[in-house]
Amino acid sequence: MSGLVVVGGGFVREQLRAPLTLVLLVAIPAFFVLIFAGVLGEFSRALGGTLPVRSATAISAGWAAAFLSGTLAFFQVSSSRGADRRLAAAGLGAGRVALARIVAALLLGATVSAVAFTTLWLRSGIGHPLHAAVAILAFAAIYIGVGALLGAFVAGPLEGSLLVMLVFALDAFSGPQMTSSGGIGAFTPTLHAANLLIATGGGQGSPSGDWTSVAAVALGSLAVALAAFWFAARTRKA
Amino acid sequence: MLSARTRTATVMAFRNQRRHPLVPILLVLVPAFIVLWSVAITQSTPHRLELPGGVWVTTTMKELHGPEMAKFTVAFVAALVGVFVMRSALAGDRRLVVAGFRARETMLARVFVLVAATLVVVAVSAMVTAVEFTPTSWPPVLAALVLIGLIYGAIGALAGALLDKLAATYLILFLVLADLSVVQTPMFHPTPSRFAALLPGYGPTRLMLAGAFGHTFTPTGALLIALAWAGGLWVAVYLVLRRRLGVKGAIGLPPDTLRGYLGKESQR
Repeated sequence: MSGLVVVGGGFVREQLRAPLTLVLLVAIPAFFVLIFAGVLGEFSRALGGTLPVRSATAISAGWAAAFLSGTLAFFQVSSSRGADRRLAAAGLGAGRVALARIVAALLLGATVSAVAFTTLWLRSGIGHPLHAAVAILAFAAIYIGVGALLGAFVAGPLEGSLLVMLVFALDAFSGPQMTSSGGIGAFTPTLHAANLLIATGGGQGSPSGDWTSVAAVALGSLAVALAAFWFAARTRKA
Repeated sequence: MLSARTRTATVMAFRNQRRHPLVPILLVLVPAFIVLWSVAITQSTPHRLELPGGVWVTTTMKELHGPEMAKFTVAFVAALVGVFVMRSALAGDRRLVVAGFRARETMLARVFVLVAATLVVVAVSAMVTAVEFTPTSWPPVLAALVLIGLIYGAIGALAGALLDKLAATYLILFLVLADLSVVQTPMFHPTPSRFAALLPGYGPTRLMLAGAFGHTFTPTGALLIALAWAGGLWVAVYLVLRRRLGVKGAIGLPPDTLRGYLGKESQR
């Protein structure tokens, strides 16, 4: 267990070697919430959605956590393959390397989510703080799965970044809250987490069905991320 | 005329890109999807905006969204290409400089790759924008897209040369969103917002709006501002990369020897 914590801590430090990364991990979620708060409601109406301003502010916190966590998870998998294989071969094992990776991803995702949540709270207040915190964290967890899955199959950083962007754009533009056209919006990964956030932005609770769906999608995404981290770290037969 | 070494470096830089077949696919797919999808889901809500020269026009959010998303996508993709092409240059091109290449020759090869990628994204973005929207005049719109690609490609190159890849990617996201999606966009601001003129997206945005919706004026000021940003940033890229790639004691192998060596290297 202590070995897992040490390695997980090392993986966190690995991502934060550049001080600017930490600064941006704090600045971007705050920026998203503060700057997009005033314009996302109007943007939603332009697209034919019906998102009230407070709900738009809330959903911007989720998107910030999602994009940053997804990119981070992608780079964790794609750029650490060699090192992870050596760690696994040296005795840690692919399973424990994967666990340490996901602990690190979750810690960084939770940091981003905490900044987004705090900014949201200070900017516009939250009717149900616990609901909002869980929903923002769910956005981060879901995109950890998306980023890690892409990283397991795509090694190039440019291709991976573009793919994370593509998935994010598809998800953000297709949410039923942003558009009246429906369609694939009903199948986007963050649909239920967005419903939770929009409800809390409007000062309302959410039905248990949304909670169950969010839990299932977030846990499923983390399971996918764990599998992707394991896949990247496992030892290949000669 | 390009020197033999520059031609060799350019061929090798493009050959290196061939090893990433997903990149050209995504250079087409990402702008095509983002522009087409965002326009498809936008309502034709009437919207008034001010063009350069103080002329007001009435258009719709749907008409405005196509060129706006084209501009955003070109900037974001060009910046990401800039980040990773320059990181790749830093990783490999120092060896070429040690072998006798001049830093500017290797840099020129990477710039060709970045410009080629930018032109692909601009072409795709313009084509998909044209599906739902016909601007008053295409040349200023295309010039604006090329300029925004060159400006953000240079910003990406600087970020890639100076920062870790994760920090560079986050910084690009931050800058593109702040500049183009919030401060410059006429979807939220009918007239340019307070600090708009201080940011790199100002010139291309004004130029593009003039070309897309204007009839009776020439946006010379916007074009000059955009050219000044692009020129200044590329000079900065040149200076930073020359410093990062510069080494003492280069040995100066002839181009044929290098081409043979690099050809074998790229096949590994």
